[in-house]
Amino acid sequence: MMRAREFVQPPGVGQAILPADTLSSVSRRQMESRRQPGLAAPQRLLLLLLSLFLAFAPTLPAQSIPYSRPVETAPQAETIGGGYKTPAVQKPLPRDAYLQMLDVLLLAAAMGISVWLVIKRRSRKWAVALTIGSLAYFGFYREGCVCPIGSIQNVALALTDRTYAIPMVVTATFFLPLVIALFFGRAFCGGVCALGAIQELVLLKPVRVPPRLDRALGLLKYVYLGLAIFLAIKPALGRDFLICRFDPFVGFFRRTGAPHMLLLGGGFLLLGMFVGRPYCRYLCPYGGLLAWCTRLARRGVTITPDKELDCGLCAEACPYGAIEHMRAVRKDCLYCARCYASCPRDGELAHTKAELVHLS
Amino acid sequence: MSEPVTRRDLLHQVVRGGVLATFGGGAIFLVQKAHGQVVWQVDASRCINSRLGDTGAEACKLCTTECVVALSAVRAVNEYSKCGRCNICPAYFNITSAVDAQGLPSEKLCPRDAIARKPIGKADPEDPANNFYEYSIDEEKCDGCGKCVMKCKEPLGLGSIVLRVRYDKCEDCNRCAISRACPKDALIQVPVEQALRPPELHPRTE
Repeated sequence: MMRAREFVQPPGVGQAILPADTLSSVSRRQMESRRQPGLAAPQRLLLLLLSLFLAFAPTLPAQSIPYSRPVETAPQAETIGGGYKTPAVQKPLPRDAYLQMLDVLLLAAAMGISVWLVIKRRSRKWAVALTIGSLAYFGFYREGCVCPIGSIQNVALALTDRTYAIPMVVTATFFLPLVIALFFGRAFCGGVCALGAIQELVLLKPVRVPPRLDRALGLLKYVYLGLAIFLAIKPALGRDFLICRFDPFVGFFRRTGAPHMLLLGGGFLLLGMFVGRPYCRYLCPYGGLLAWCTRLARRGVTITPDKELDCGLCAEACPYGAIEHMRAVRKDCLYCARCYASCPRDGELAHTKAELVHLS
Repeated sequence: MSEPVTRRDLLHQVVRGGVLATFGGGAIFLVQKAHGQVVWQVDASRCINSRLGDTGAEACKLCTTECVVALSAVRAVNEYSKCGRCNICPAYFNITSAVDAQGLPSEKLCPRDAIARKPIGKADPEDPANNFYEYSIDEEKCDGCGKCVMKCKEPLGLGSIVLRVRYDKCEDCNRCAISRACPKDALIQVPVEQALRPPELHPRTE
């Protein structure tokens, strides 16, 4: 029984007693010396001493206990006997990998649909339907975490830190909307992004932001982008994912969150009733990247497709100030299709056709 | 394509091609070092509560307080195969409390009463002190405060209780809020296969 003795080897006066007590059930059974009468009284004494020791324990330097953990003394099923089976430790599995791939596919599909609905069908109604669908799935069901905005940080970190393992899904989530933006503009922002969708749907009575202020505030997102990348690529203990931490809407998607973040999100939504998508236009760092990509875009939202008609209804309808001099500005256009809905010539509704005749 | 290709269009095409190639290169670089699926897990050898050698301190409660989930996604898990099955379990009982008639401490340690105790094996009614006991943690009650983890260490415990992330609750945040707060950087992102293996504990050697 050397092992037991080694384990209870006294490092200090009081401590010798302690392991002996807990080990009593273990080592004694190993010694096959069960059912010794008169054990109860010493045990009680031991316990008293133990209590005394623990009362004074904090005064002892904790690190001074030489200890190697005798895991092998842990009784296993065969030692315990009585037909005992060691239960499995419960381990709920993480979300399946194929479901994550499905998220990426859905993201790609939603962007494809967004492009088709807005550029080909020119339908505001269906674009709104897609927005609601995306908000439900990417927002409330996936709880805002199929998110290219946040993936900026992962990508920046993975590019600089060789040990950081970036999930495949995050890589795809980061690049897909950018590639789409290179060809068709910010299709991701309209109808797909959950953060955009929640703001899109609360927009009640848009006021026009003065263009100069709009442009100045728009620079904020690049500052935010720089700051987020700077903090994301710092060493592990100082690292912070600013974009995710100050994501104003994720608290709503998860239906839980810190009070100050919920308050901030509520503030953004309140502001968003009158200023079109304030987060997207002035803060979203990914919006900054997309805006840059749209400069090279092949196609985008076009107003007055065949014939000039400068009534300016579309420019008035655009809550994002993305129509300047009767032309859609691709870097600012958020694919909401409000301009089409406002157009007397372009609308797909029956009554606009009558107006069309009237106008021409 | 009946429209004439202007110089501006051509330039755009070239630049777009360049940007696409850059994206492609970046994506290939990232995919090469990418893991299929990565999850957050508590590194038991870093966590103050479970790391052997750190004793006598108050349990670190950051896993409970920092998690964005209302009842933290981190909870204590008893690795049964390493459990000493002690009669007086330092993680189950508040061993500084008064001793009751059965010779057991009168108070429990867990503030949420999440640990259950039952005699196992050839239970001996005459000598309960000499029985083995199974301690199971109710994961619906546990909020991962780490009190029991801190106590199931030397000099009394074998260190079988560790903190683990439960994946049915974890939101899989991009940057885990606990990891940001953790002073030992004990919450790490690991491939999913590794996260499901039982933790291997090693005594602190330094």
